[in-house]
Amino acid sequence: MEHARHVFRVVLVVIVGLAAILIGRGFLVPKSHGIFGAYRADNVAEQMKARLPAHQGAASCTPCHKGKAETRAAGSHKTVSCEVCHAPLLRHVAEGKVTGPMPVDKAFTACARCHRKIQGRPEKFPQVVLEQHVTTKLEGAVCLECHDPHSPKL
Amino acid sequence: MDHAPCTPAPTAPPPPCDAPADAERRGFLKITGGAVALLAGLDAAANTETHAPPPGGDAYNWEEHRWAYVIDTSKCIGCGSCVRACKAENEVPEGFVRTWVERYISGPGGSYVDSPKGGLEGFPPVPTAFTPTKAFFVPKMCNHCKETPCVQVCPVGASYRTKDGVVMVDGKSCIGCGYCVQACPYGSRYLNPVTHTAEKCTWCYHRITKGLKPACVEVCPTSTRIFGNMLREDEPVRQIIDHERVSIMQGHLLTEPQCFYLHLDMEVR
Repeated sequence: MEHARHVFRVVLVVIVGLAAILIGRGFLVPKSHGIFGAYRADNVAEQMKARLPAHQGAASCTPCHKGKAETRAAGSHKTVSCEVCHAPLLRHVAEGKVTGPMPVDKAFTACARCHRKIQGRPEKFPQVVLEQHVTTKLEGAVCLECHDPHSPKL
Repeated sequence: MDHAPCTPAPTAPPPPCDAPADAERRGFLKITGGAVALLAGLDAAANTETHAPPPGGDAYNWEEHRWAYVIDTSKCIGCGSCVRACKAENEVPEGFVRTWVERYISGPGGSYVDSPKGGLEGFPPVPTAFTPTKAFFVPKMCNHCKETPCVQVCPVGASYRTKDGVVMVDGKSCIGCGYCVQACPYGSRYLNPVTHTAEKCTWCYHRITKGLKPACVEVCPTSTRIFGNMLREDEPVRQIIDHERVSIMQGHLLTEPQCFYLHLDMEVR
């Protein structure tokens, strides 16, 4: 054994080193790391409840705004979600209670985002050259003077 | 362990030359072998994937879902509702987007591509020096690749792909090195200027695990964006991918994107 003393010394150093690595790893690697893969498994559940869903879709508006919902469903804007021109439902209702007024974008620029004639839109999609279509001043809610946004066809 | 020269050591008395060298070697091997096996066992125990219950409890089972996304570029009108909805839904910081819309205008005389603020406020008419013969919009976002370059380069395991096929970033583990931002060939990631961690599209994981659609799909007025579970045959995404001619973005990179495009032009990269 006397001759092997230097070898045991090296082995001891290696063992101490490995033990230090394993103990350090235990402290540094998050608890749920490696359960499903090389990541912190707890994050998956955290991502699920990272925030409350803000958009709830047109169906969530119907219980309180039946009239408007019916007008919309019968018109050419039936595929346009209420939240496109208004705002995400969460700004207006939280946990079934009204928390504040629902914002709405009535400006002509809101209509122009979809209906201004520009290169790129499918040709069949209804578009207008704003400067030709609007004979009065192009400002504010000028589109709504003639069109009902919930059923815009005249 | 060579004992051949049997000369006295300078400090110790001479060992017996007929000492059982084999037995000594055996003992040494036993000790070191045992130590190695123990350490290997410890490491294996630390790394083995256990059969832990899936995250999400009873409400959502990720084994039953494999999400995919279809974008029909021929339907996009470039309104940017998806971009605005995504920003509102996910509180995306000013100046960044998780999904965006690009416009391609081209003709024999040239081509023009733009995406003002990612299409956040729609698109203006643009004068072009050439006569355009075709123009179209292409919504873009994270492709949630199966072979993700962004996950491969993450040095701390903050980027990962879930079993239901969503690539996400663990903000608590992310050190903000930005490797993933550079590794993504689609430009889908950014560093949040407040938290200094990488962020990206999660396909609205907080929504899809509750049975809702991602916000961009929810508000799209022309059904350009379609999202669903590939494990169900009756889902529109599955139907389209099974029966239509779909393409993917930058297929030569072999990242296996899970966003599939309909009517994608070769001009688009």
